[in-house]
Amino acid sequence: MSDSERLASDGVTNADGTKIADGADQRSASSGRLLSWVSTVDHKKIGILYICTAVFFLAIGGLEALLIRVQLLFPNNNFLSPDLFNQMFTMHGTTMVFLVGMPVLVGFQNYFVPLMIGARDVAFPRLNAMSYWLLPFGGILLYFSFMTGKAPDAGWFSYAPLSTKPYNLMPAQDYWIIGLICLGIGSVAASINIFVTVLQCRAPGMSLQRVPLFVWMSLMTAILTILALPALNSALAMLLIDRLLGAAFFEPARGGSAVLWQHYFWVFGHPEVYILILPAFGMISEVIPVFSRKPIYGYAFVAGSSAVIVLLSYGVWAHHMFAVGLGMGADMFFAVGTLLIALPTGLKVFNWTATMWGGSIRLTTAMMFAVAFLLEFVIGGLTGVMFAAVPIDWQLTDTYFVVGHFHYVLIGGTVFGLFSATYYWFPKITGRMLSERLGKWQLWLWVFGLNATFLSQHVLGVMGMPRRVYTYADNPGWMALNAFAGAGAVAMAVGTLVLLLNIWVSLRRGEKAGDNPWEAFTLEWATTSPPPPENFALIPQVASRRPVWDLDHPDAADAGKELTPADSGWRPDKSVTSVWAFVASEAVFFLLLLVAYVVFNTDLVGEITSASLLDVTRTAVFSVALLGSSFTLWKAEAFLKSGKFAQFRFWLALTITLGAVFIGGQAIEYYGLITSDVTISDNLFTATFFTVTGFHGLHVVVGLIALSIVFVLAMKQDRNVLHGSALKAIGIYWHFVDVVWIAVFCIIYLGFMQ
Amino acid sequence: MSSFPVFDPASPQAEAIRDLFVQVLFISGGVFSIVAGLICIALFRFRSKDKLPTQDFGSHRKEMAWIVAPVIVVLWIAAISAKLILTFNAVPQAHPPGEQVADLIVTGHQWWWEIEYAGTDIISANELHIPTGKRLRVQLSSADVIHSFWVARLARKMDAIPGRENFIWLQADEPGVYQGRCAEFCGTQHAWMNFLVHAHDPDEYEEWLSNEKVVPPPPVEPSAIAGRKTFLSLTCSQCHAIAGTGADRSIAPDLTHLASRSELAAGVLSNTPENLRSWLKNPAAFKPGCKMPDFKLTDQQLDDLVAFLETLR
Amino acid sequence: MIELISDKELWNWWSPVWLVAAVVALLYGRYAGWTSLSKTLWLISGLSVLVFAFVSPLGVLADGFLFSAHMIQHLLVLLVVPLCVVLSCPPAAAGTMHSVANEAGSLGQKVRAVITSPFAAWLLGLGAMWFWHVPAFCSAATENYMIGIVRTGTFLAAGVLFWCPVYSPFKQDRLPASSAVVYLFSACLGCTLLGIYITFTTITVCPAFASPQERLAIMVALHDAGMTASVDQQVGGLLMWVPPCSLYVAAIVSVLCRWYAVAEPGELGWSVSQTAEIR
Repeated sequence: MSDSERLASDGVTNADGTKIADGADQRSASSGRLLSWVSTVDHKKIGILYICTAVFFLAIGGLEALLIRVQLLFPNNNFLSPDLFNQMFTMHGTTMVFLVGMPVLVGFQNYFVPLMIGARDVAFPRLNAMSYWLLPFGGILLYFSFMTGKAPDAGWFSYAPLSTKPYNLMPAQDYWIIGLICLGIGSVAASINIFVTVLQCRAPGMSLQRVPLFVWMSLMTAILTILALPALNSALAMLLIDRLLGAAFFEPARGGSAVLWQHYFWVFGHPEVYILILPAFGMISEVIPVFSRKPIYGYAFVAGSSAVIVLLSYGVWAHHMFAVGLGMGADMFFAVGTLLIALPTGLKVFNWTATMWGGSIRLTTAMMFAVAFLLEFVIGGLTGVMFAAVPIDWQLTDTYFVVGHFHYVLIGGTVFGLFSATYYWFPKITGRMLSERLGKWQLWLWVFGLNATFLSQHVLGVMGMPRRVYTYADNPGWMALNAFAGAGAVAMAVGTLVLLLNIWVSLRRGEKAGDNPWEAFTLEWATTSPPPPENFALIPQVASRRPVWDLDHPDAADAGKELTPADSGWRPDKSVTSVWAFVASEAVFFLLLLVAYVVFNTDLVGEITSASLLDVTRTAVFSVALLGSSFTLWKAEAFLKSGKFAQFRFWLALTITLGAVFIGGQAIEYYGLITSDVTISDNLFTATFFTVTGFHGLHVVVGLIALSIVFVLAMKQDRNVLHGSALKAIGIYWHFVDVVWIAVFCIIYLGFMQ
Repeated sequence: MSSFPVFDPASPQAEAIRDLFVQVLFISGGVFSIVAGLICIALFRFRSKDKLPTQDFGSHRKEMAWIVAPVIVVLWIAAISAKLILTFNAVPQAHPPGEQVADLIVTGHQWWWEIEYAGTDIISANELHIPTGKRLRVQLSSADVIHSFWVARLARKMDAIPGRENFIWLQADEPGVYQGRCAEFCGTQHAWMNFLVHAHDPDEYEEWLSNEKVVPPPPVEPSAIAGRKTFLSLTCSQCHAIAGTGADRSIAPDLTHLASRSELAAGVLSNTPENLRSWLKNPAAFKPGCKMPDFKLTDQQLDDLVAFLETLR
Repeated sequence: MIELISDKELWNWWSPVWLVAAVVALLYGRYAGWTSLSKTLWLISGLSVLVFAFVSPLGVLADGFLFSAHMIQHLLVLLVVPLCVVLSCPPAAAGTMHSVANEAGSLGQKVRAVITSPFAAWLLGLGAMWFWHVPAFCSAATENYMIGIVRTGTFLAAGVLFWCPVYSPFKQDRLPASSAVVYLFSACLGCTLLGIYITFTTITVCPAFASPQERLAIMVALHDAGMTASVDQQVGGLLMWVPPCSLYVAAIVSVLCRWYAVAEPGELGWSVSQTAEIR
């Protein structure tokens, strides 16, 4: 009897059990297999799509890396022109972070989070499909730039002013910006989905303290993404406004700030590192216990330390900027912050080691990759600690030492975690085992390749080779080390081909896997391999952190032995939770735009300022309309709750009217300014003013559209509107937009903080 | 030139950083050995067996005990690096009255360095001359994009950022030539934005300084005279300056003492008449994308120009 | 500007803070009683920190001389002292306070409900921090003794209210773990913003410190070591930012510990029966 059938005998169903695969899926069954992949909303298929897309871009990004290595094989090499070389490393970095790293991790999360928490799908299957399709769209946009004659070439962090119009005339940079905005929106949507899924769709009995660690890490990653990506989006929006509309946020020659871009980019960029590594932590936290036949040592410490990493990761961004000259105070504080964040990571290494200690270790390929992860990631972590000692950073930042450091983290960490997860979960996804022999070939090729390439680069950094140089003089030792690095890159490429071969062979004639080939612990192993469309015939009931272990080892069951907090059974409302997450994300976006306003307008003198241009009284009147609309919406909600539908419709209509009045007021203001020749490109006041109020206005308009749809549906007596939480969700958004306006009004119109 | 500049310091500042680096390397090596050792022991001792291992869920006490060691290590590293930051980052930006803003004013350009010797009229490019044993205040800025000023054997790295002034200390204990590079990606020719720091004994430095203050005399050889004419009649003088000729633009490197420099084009070529000739013939062949255009000079013009430029000692 | 060297001592032994500490200790003894050693230790450390903040050179420097010292004092009074006080409060004493509020009738209950609501506590805690850093108020409170006392008072009160939703002696008054994390993290964000603002702004946040009427002898030495008015403000901003955030993160860790440690007695039986059901 399979585990799934045994679980089925439990007879408990989820309240949400009706939500199986969407209608679209069943329709498409008849219209061909390809179409079924395009139109799917099944989380497993979307997960596979994410992973395959990431592998496709991995091939491209890897090819770019190989071209870079070939160019650097000899001193004064002419294989690539300097411009082409710059495009290659820019595209390599951008591709690997945004088109490979994040998608492949989201892919695994998409596939396994619902399975591991005993859900039938993610919380919002259609949103999930949209998130995925933004990925190829953004990727194609990014690569379409080659058609314009030149790909982006300002580096993956596109430091201003090199990325601004005066130094970067080609449209490639605009493709980069718009592509990244698409990918950013997709990532935030996917993360909101994962966030709500983990909070809302867990099987009965699975309290948040009982979720598998991969799920917990996915939750942490989702929170990081939701709060970090908008920082990038606001910076990108400002850069795009600079480039297309002639503002000067990041052009020092016209009063802008080159350093502000760095702050904004790294406020996103540092959490991004943890977005890429936390899921890998989760993966090996699943693999190591299973292949040691022991529970994870100190579950609460592994989970809790990740929460601490999430919190601290927002406060350490300036350690990427120690060479900027921020002053000794800032240098020291950020150094301490960076050193602190090493502690929760160090704690995890202890827990993983302690999990193996005293276990019964099976050295499968998955386990060997997990062990390789531990060793290589510790090296990357320790060189990270070196960079936190600021004076060392002063010497080694922007050299090949830093390139070596972060590749140890991202390959030794993220990629090895992913390989480990691939060997661990492939049988579940396909129902067939991967070859252990080929797997070990791949492992050793990668271990050799990683160390050959990036150990050499550490040495090159100490020898004084700056990163991102397209060539170098014939300095003693440089060529030999670069050649060795090139050999390592080839080994990694061959290793990847071995993996692809392994997958191909396994799909054709791999050994059948069965439900639980590894005697693993978590719920995904309680269903068939591959899982049926609705995952579980019946939703399982959970009583411990290792439900499948409990089934397999009734004498040594965790339940009752390890005391874990019980599940209260309460689950938050899906729509309301997702809107709160969205609002949090938007809040960061507006916060950074407002910070830009304060930064640029504190010292601004001259004719074009807020004091000389804006009619505060008139805007105050229109602001009252907007704030009033919050009150009327609150009344509408109250009437809806008490079932007085007529009054509800009246107050809702009033809300829409007041919102429209506000937008009208803003239109009058814009009209007045533009007819008196005040435009966004005039100076930093107009640039920040139009950007902040423009984005706010856009949000009001979106809110108005949403409210109007609700109104129309309410007229049609739609059940979802009248009895669901739709209005409540939109209400949260609407109140948020009003709160933002209060801040905007205080700062821009009333001149607070100036 | 040293193969391992970071490990071969020639100033108190670079030496202190080296000492810190070596210490942290040893600490890291120790930590890695312990972790790797534990993992290896676990792998060898606890291989697969039939008996179910004890299901150990962890211990709060052991976690706490384990975290003590990293806390101590981290605090120690924080303390020693803070000490260094306080020692060497304190370049007073508000300089005492009566003193110069800085001894050297360095401006990054795409892709060369402009060097101004404060208090004199001397402006030069890609080569700094400094007296040994003296701590000099260097002001860093940029005319276009972000660059980074890095002489590994002498000083910390510091970005040169447009619209902003940064300051560092620069000092050399021994006379010699020190390699400097631009460390921040700054566009097409980021790779060739090197510079040299020549450290002289104080009296030698004074000698260099007095030579540098002299405007090179007008050429006397006919070919050099023709070269001077060519330089002024073509658009060379729209970008370059040469003292005493009337050419005074600062878009491109100042050429007043070009012949006394040891490298051309920020490190691409060593400065010999032959190299200078090939460079002038087609700059893009050596530094593709550089801002100096190919003037399609005739052989005669090239010979004349080289003859003239070689007089600028 | 003529700079006078002040003849003030570095230790302000005759500060009225002793009196405050004594009164608090008496009240504590009267209503809470010296029952539990750990609670008593919390109170003693809280009061010691309070006294230290005003009597030591820190208190003297904070009195119009050094912005960063003022910031440390401010953090001690707003965050550390109230935290110790809340932790020292035994449930019995809290019960007394509740009943006092109940006896005061419906108005008392309403007031209690409003000021102990997490939303208000958050606003008051963060509000006190932001309000007293508006340049005009900051200077006024530094230069005028009475306004300074009002500021200290509001800091202490706002601090106690701020910590209550997290560490209230009454378990049912505490926020659930997830909300407590959001509560503390958003407070951290508030501090961060103010800290960044003070660190990087070109405005003088508290003019009273930038151009003092007179200087202490020790400040001449500090100034020569590079502690100019702008560096002073930068350090102050960073102090506003990093230590409180570290404290909030530590509090979040303690909330998480509490959250993972909930293993209610009833649960054991529940789990076993559930497992049996799956079989």
